[in-house]
Amino acid sequence: MTRSTSRDRGRRFRLLTATGAGLVLVPLAAACGSGDSGGSGAIRIGVPAPLSGDSASAGQDILAAAKVAAAEINQAGGVDGRDVQIVEADDQCSAQQGAQAAQKLLNSGVVAVAGGYCSGAAVPAIPIYGRRNVPFVLDASTNPSLTDTGKGKVFRTCGRDDNQGLVAAKFMTGQLRARRIALLHDNTTYAKGLADAAANSVKQFGGQVVYQDALQPGQSDYSPVLTKVASTKPDVLYFTGYFAEAGLLMKQRKQLGLTFTLMGGDATTDSTVLKTAGPAADGYIATTAPLAKDLPAAAAFVSAYKAANKADPGPFSVYEYDAVKVVAKAVDDAGSTKGADITEALHKIKDFPGITGPITFDDKGDRTDPLYITVRVRNGAFTAHKKLDKSGGTWVDAKSS
Amino acid sequence: MSEFVQYLVNGLTIGAFLALIALGYSMIYGVVRLINFAHGDVFMIGAFAGFGTLTTLGVTGGTALPAIVAAVAVGALTTGVVGTGIARAAYVPLLASPRLALLIAAIGVSLALQEGVKVLTDARFKSYPNTLDGGQILSGSVRVTWGQLALVVLSVALMAGLWLFVTRTMTGTAMRALAMDRDAARLQGVNVERLILVTFFVGSLLAGAAGVMYGLYYTQISFGMGFLIGLRAFTAAVLGGIGNLPGTMVAGVAIGLVQSFSAGYVSSRWTDVIIFGLLIAVLAFRPTGLFGERVVERA
Repeated sequence: MTRSTSRDRGRRFRLLTATGAGLVLVPLAAACGSGDSGGSGAIRIGVPAPLSGDSASAGQDILAAAKVAAAEINQAGGVDGRDVQIVEADDQCSAQQGAQAAQKLLNSGVVAVAGGYCSGAAVPAIPIYGRRNVPFVLDASTNPSLTDTGKGKVFRTCGRDDNQGLVAAKFMTGQLRARRIALLHDNTTYAKGLADAAANSVKQFGGQVVYQDALQPGQSDYSPVLTKVASTKPDVLYFTGYFAEAGLLMKQRKQLGLTFTLMGGDATTDSTVLKTAGPAADGYIATTAPLAKDLPAAAAFVSAYKAANKADPGPFSVYEYDAVKVVAKAVDDAGSTKGADITEALHKIKDFPGITGPITFDDKGDRTDPLYITVRVRNGAFTAHKKLDKSGGTWVDAKSS
Repeated sequence: MSEFVQYLVNGLTIGAFLALIALGYSMIYGVVRLINFAHGDVFMIGAFAGFGTLTTLGVTGGTALPAIVAAVAVGALTTGVVGTGIARAAYVPLLASPRLALLIAAIGVSLALQEGVKVLTDARFKSYPNTLDGGQILSGSVRVTWGQLALVVLSVALMAGLWLFVTRTMTGTAMRALAMDRDAARLQGVNVERLILVTFFVGSLLAGAAGVMYGLYYTQISFGMGFLIGLRAFTAAVLGGIGNLPGTMVAGVAIGLVQSFSAGYVSSRWTDVIIFGLLIAVLAFRPTGLFGERVVERA
């Protein structure tokens, strides 16, 4: 999710060419036509993910989770008596490969797609699936534009960056009773988007944004920025950038003896932060989508995943698991493998019991229930802190229910 | 007012690092006329060597002075050797070639070092153990930590050592002669190739020491850490008059102050615009640097 959006930075120019290539390829593929809306053989679900390259570990986690979900469905008798088969495609987290992966999946006759990691790879893939009416359920790409421009054929089991901003603002103004709020980003698409979203919501809730600016990633010494922030006398500083800077901010905030609360977004929950900041990390609060270990309903999945892969699930494994499950459910409901029917069925799903919480999609394809929670560093580890209750107005302990 | 003083303290800390790294650029340029683009990466190697030393010694935190000294020494010696090795393998064979060849070799070495460490560390950040949390000297509205003081003192000591070496020793004198005129120095019996290697050794030594100090102070290191700081140190070297050691030291501290005050009174987003704007202005109006190039005798 978060990592994904940063990748958009240098890849815009590639994105254009890749979309161009997609446009050329689509009619060709349509002409070949796999024509598989018939009713025999396995039901194929496509999983695009970065299986090689820098983000390969995240991609492998996602693919492994999809396979766990499929195995579980098949063990329970499959969908309409047909097995579910996962078809993988490597998008390498790039726009070019994203378009090619989409093409490959369509050619192999997938009825729906559940996966993806980098928003940059998803962007060119969306119109390719869209033209064939194949629904795309994202598990990790949080950039708001994806479902905004998805024409109702794109869904996601993960959250949206702007929704995270809203949750952060609610937490700061509600739970922390902060009046003066400072926002710090790093000028990447993701971080700036999250800071803007948080700023809007803070103002809506009657808070005051006393500082909103960017630091420059990669320079290690942020004490000048922190001194500047402190001079605006904020109650809370919400940092929306990445983990590499977050740890340094915590450490230098302590060195400078600053007393405002430091919070961060979901790109700051990496364990590097804890090592860098050491004891200075204590009390740090981050907004994030819940991790597998904080989701009581995910216990069975976690043990199945561990048994199959001999490793702990990654941060997005639970969202991929739910994505595959919800697609299977939609195929079952629709009683058809036609993309348009599955899309319609996905929109009709109400309170599907996912391991990440009940799943209902709004018109755009985003989840209607508040997804983000807060975690806090306690004894050198991120632990679940508070979450919004169903009404979206009150904060309760994240561990309960 | 207290904010102003705090910006000053922050800026001096940053400047201490920049000055140490900038000296390497300046020295090497002085004798080889090469902007050693790999210098920032040598700094990075030093940080990793120091990290390796601390990890091997099993330091996990607390103020372990002998271990810190060992780490700085190992880091500095490692980069000294690495720097000399690079010079021997990549630069010395090209001394007679056009200067562009040297420059391209330097860029190649920089990329190779960075990518090499990236592969070896899986592109992950490494965190130094917390050893410098020694507490505060001033803890009122202006904060100064013992770590900061130790850092500045060590930088000043290293720079003073360099100054003595360059002005008071035979090798240092030969180095200055080499900077003035390579051929004339050779005629005076200076072993040019050997002296170039010595220069690389000393310059890289300083960068390595700076790398370990950087790791100790900021605790977080990565393969890409030398890039931005290297560029800024290079700017400091140009600003101070490349080849001019005292000018470079002053300019390094000045760039640190610019970085701090621009974040405080303008916006940290503008820091690089200001620093590199300064670089362009200096190149355009005072190409010999604010303090002038020392080697004016060069025709």
